[in-house]
Amino acid sequence: MSAAEARSRRWAWVALYLAIVMLLAAGVYAAGQRVDYSWHWERVPGYVLSFDGEELRAPFDGFVTLGADGRSLRLSALRTAETAQITGFDRLVVGEGELVFEGDVLAIQAGITPGPLAWGLWLTLKLSALSLLFALVIGVVAGLGRVAANPAARALAATYVEAIRGTPLLVQIFIFYFFVGTVLDLSAFTAGVAALAVFTGAYVAEIVRAGIEAVPRGQMEAARSLGLSYLQAMRHVILPQAFKKSLPALAGQFINLIKDSSLVSVMALTDLTKAGREVVSSTFSPFEVWFTVAAMYLLLTGALSLWVRRLERRLAHD
Amino acid sequence: MTETLIEVSAVSKTYANGVVALRDVSLAVRKGEVVCIVGPSGSGKSTLLRTLNALEPISSGEVRVLGQAVHDPRTDLNRLRAQVGMVFQSFNLFPHRTVLENLMLAPRIVRRTEAAAARERAMRLLGKVGLADKRDQHPAQLSGGQQQRVAIARALAMDPAILLFDEPTSALDPEKVNEVLDVMKGLAAEGMTMCVVTHEMGFARAVAHRVVFMEAGSIAHVDAPERFFGPQAPPRLREFLGQVLHG
Repeated sequence: MSAAEARSRRWAWVALYLAIVMLLAAGVYAAGQRVDYSWHWERVPGYVLSFDGEELRAPFDGFVTLGADGRSLRLSALRTAETAQITGFDRLVVGEGELVFEGDVLAIQAGITPGPLAWGLWLTLKLSALSLLFALVIGVVAGLGRVAANPAARALAATYVEAIRGTPLLVQIFIFYFFVGTVLDLSAFTAGVAALAVFTGAYVAEIVRAGIEAVPRGQMEAARSLGLSYLQAMRHVILPQAFKKSLPALAGQFINLIKDSSLVSVMALTDLTKAGREVVSSTFSPFEVWFTVAAMYLLLTGALSLWVRRLERRLAHD
Repeated sequence: MTETLIEVSAVSKTYANGVVALRDVSLAVRKGEVVCIVGPSGSGKSTLLRTLNALEPISSGEVRVLGQAVHDPRTDLNRLRAQVGMVFQSFNLFPHRTVLENLMLAPRIVRRTEAAAARERAMRLLGKVGLADKRDQHPAQLSGGQQQRVAIARALAMDPAILLFDEPTSALDPEKVNEVLDVMKGLAAEGMTMCVVTHEMGFARAVAHRVVFMEAGSIAHVDAPERFFGPQAPPRLREFLGQVLHG
């Protein structure tokens, strides 16, 4: 087969792929039209990014005095001598001499502000990134325990891994939120990070163990024969190689972590999923909102796998 | 009388499944001596070598290296091992590090040598094994013979009093064997104390001060090479040598 022939055959398969994807999309679209549902995609973008502008609110009760140029206003407190100068707005909501109360909207400052879905995405990102960091630490320590010579360390690590892998994450989240969170007086966010880190750590431990066991025995022997201690050999010789071998598995686990973080929405945490639920209840557009939420998760997981693929390429020298 | 660096006294080793690897083995190696250990596979020669730096635990007896009881739990094994270099059949270079980093790793971590001093010493040793131009390559980019020469330089980087070789040429293509043996001959000529498990009878005959013949976990015969390979050797040894040399 010539090169040109091979290329054209390749393009034929790409075309088939595109055709199938488009057929599926058309099917979903047709199904959407058939059900008794009025689509309002135009409602969704405002919940991701809001173009309504930022509301400037009254810091206390008082009377409004407008500036001569219409670009500033002064608020004189009702009962004290306090005054506040408010500038930099684009649209006034109140009039001259009007009595306003603390928290009332005085003016609107134009600009793009994150909507609830964007805030949810941000919380999910923070939650996942922090959990990932701690899961990695817990996983490496537990993984080292799994391969340790000491029977106590081995049994402890095995118990941790089995207990975590044998119970549903949702149940663990409830335990962390209601029991651990109460005992240690943790915020919902801290409890969420802890639950996700402890859960993911157990899987990371197994990945780390497999990675360490995949490094040839001779590596440890060579390092020890040069006088390195067990931990020095682990740190400088074994773990760097184990990490490289387990990078694809770790990436998969961390993509799971991002997705699993949606379960913490059962606690009082407005992550992307919880934000989606809230937006659904105010828009009555569940189809559009959940498609949008799914796309936003895909954005996070896609970015992570892209980054891991680049990291793999950078480490692929030997 | 030069000092004895290695003293193996009545060492036995039995695996948990009852297999006897070493049976009442005693051997002393003096400073500057080159001892080659030969024997059929499974005779315990590698096991014996690996008991010398406690990569292999023993069941009974005692191994003293540089005056210290190797298998005594109170011995600072890391310190002792830093003075006993080991070269493996499968090289065991660190694949994630460059050649130069392979040589600098242990001095930097174990001896806390300054980077500049460690680098200078590493470069000198790479020059000695003829691989100074490979310093920035990774082990996978080198031939087997080159990797084994780097492994020897890596062992030398810790300035060891003793070098142990565990079948250093067995994993090499035949045409790469001599470049490694030449480096080892150079070390022997400098007076390095060496224990070499090998199948290279030519090397043993030319370089060793004494040759040890092991069979079924015991030392069956020890002699100077001219007599070891001569007509006065016991029949079983001559049979083995005949198989190795003409097989």
